[in-house]
Amino acid sequence: MTTTVPTSAAAVPVGPGLSMFDPLFIGIDEFGQPVYLDVIYRNILIAGEPGGGKSGLVNNICGHGALSDNTRLVLLDAKLVELGPWRDIADAFIGPDIDEAISVLRRLLIVATNRYTWLLANRRRKLVPGDGMSVIVTIIDELAMFSTVLGTKQQQEEFAALLRGLVSLGRACGMPVVAATQRPSWDIIPASLRDLFGYRAAFRCTSLNSSNIILGQGWAEQGYTASDISPTNQGAAYLLAEGGVPRRIKAAYLTDNDIYSIADYAAWIRRPTTGVPAGSRTDWEIAA
Amino acid sequence: MSKSSPRRFGGKSTGTVTVIEAKVHRSSARNAKMAFILTAVIVGLLAAVVAASYWHPIVALIVGALIGVPTGAAAWLLVRVWPVLRLLWWWTPETFLGVGLLTCWVQLANHTPTVVTLLVVALLVGVPAVIRPVRRQVIAWTWCLIVRHRLRVCFAQFIIANQSGSLPLILWSRPTPVGERVWVYLRPGLSAKDLEGRLDKIAVTCHASTVLIERASENNAAYLRFDIKRREVLTATVGSPLVDVIDPAAPVSASPLTVPTALDLPDIDAPTITLPTQGKPATKKPATSANGSKPAASPSSDTDDVSDWI
Repeated sequence: MTTTVPTSAAAVPVGPGLSMFDPLFIGIDEFGQPVYLDVIYRNILIAGEPGGGKSGLVNNICGHGALSDNTRLVLLDAKLVELGPWRDIADAFIGPDIDEAISVLRRLLIVATNRYTWLLANRRRKLVPGDGMSVIVTIIDELAMFSTVLGTKQQQEEFAALLRGLVSLGRACGMPVVAATQRPSWDIIPASLRDLFGYRAAFRCTSLNSSNIILGQGWAEQGYTASDISPTNQGAAYLLAEGGVPRRIKAAYLTDNDIYSIADYAAWIRRPTTGVPAGSRTDWEIAA
Repeated sequence: MSKSSPRRFGGKSTGTVTVIEAKVHRSSARNAKMAFILTAVIVGLLAAVVAASYWHPIVALIVGALIGVPTGAAAWLLVRVWPVLRLLWWWTPETFLGVGLLTCWVQLANHTPTVVTLLVVALLVGVPAVIRPVRRQVIAWTWCLIVRHRLRVCFAQFIIANQSGSLPLILWSRPTPVGERVWVYLRPGLSAKDLEGRLDKIAVTCHASTVLIERASENNAAYLRFDIKRREVLTATVGSPLVDVIDPAAPVSASPLTVPTALDLPDIDAPTITLPTQGKPATKKPATSANGSKPAASPSSDTDDVSDWI
């Protein structure tokens, strides 16, 4: 499992100059200022009712990851279509299959453990851009499917336990987790797992309670409630960055066309590394 | 004034206009008395001490009293009119604005012919009204003036303050894209928590959509920032810069997918598994109810019936 370093060194040939260590543009705030996230050292939980604009944010993060240098994507999407466009460049793309999901989470946890051992051996506590290690972004859309619908109760619990491990370990070793779900109440994900997510994005909710579940207790009483977002205003959300106050943002929107264009471009610039090349590999190498 | 007459006239005291509330008025009278006594005694004594080095102590005392009493009276007057001064202070921007505008108008009217005056006024009013950004700025700043008064109304009307009825200091305000931001310095007796429970009422009083309260200072809990929101700005679609960094001419890459052909409900066979699962409780039920007698005897007619039922 320690082979991640050599493979990643050979992994990324050319890039558009982005990196997961760069601030990630997700939209604008009420003052018209761009909002950036440093997802790399945080985990983000995205929630809100269907049609609220969650997938826009998820795809923004995914697109940034796809175009980033030395970045691997692990995508879990029970709905297939949200993260499906990125399947060719993802190191793992898992549909509604909890066995595969559990297996990939296990692998990720081993990588995380190995990385910490490596960090320990190098007398360090945190991964930095110069380490040459790839950033492994795990993106889960429709988390509820994996934690409540698919598989047996035991599998669902194992999935939640593994995810909790990844979320708590991944922070400092370059393995952030992005999870999206509709309502992260205790029956979907345990509160102990929910509270590990440093960043929260609450898209429109129907009730104060739902908003509180996403952002954390007490915010709705202070006036920060995603239930006051208009149903027609897709993409508007409250973003809670760690230790701060929620602020209203509008997530950048990517049309299906945009998403596929970015995915195609990302696949093109990543061609030597992707397991599934589009076209013959030698052609691309000559072209490069 | 008799007590019955205000009651008869619906709770309003007749013939007087309430500029300062009764509670504030009372406390102001008490404070004024205290201010008079303290100032008179302290200034009088100090003056007497100083005067004693020049004159006989008794003369010095009289001089002290002569200086102390008028100073005390001045202090009394100051405290007594303080609520009015505060009221004037609250309306300072409006007063100055009004005086300034009026002065300008009078000066203009006096020094130019009527046509020119009207032309200048029409230009001064019309141009900002037509140019959208300027108009917006003017409206935004006007709201800033209004909202400070509305917040004061909130504090005076339904936010219970301290015993002396002193209101928070409503500091400056400035427009934001969504509304206004007002800085407030709370007086003893209030906290941010108290205000959070009344956000909806404050929003109503300010003619706004929502109000958020944040601490404006890390070190001082009294220093708050009110974010008054009266318009939704995040309605337009925001594009992503990722679209600009890509080359749209990149070749399409899509790994082949095995697309299922059963895309409609009739294409999916009704699962045969459901029959046994339905059958299980069905067989169990007769088993529990009738099996006790049947298996041993197993009469042919009875079993036929049961199988028919299944």
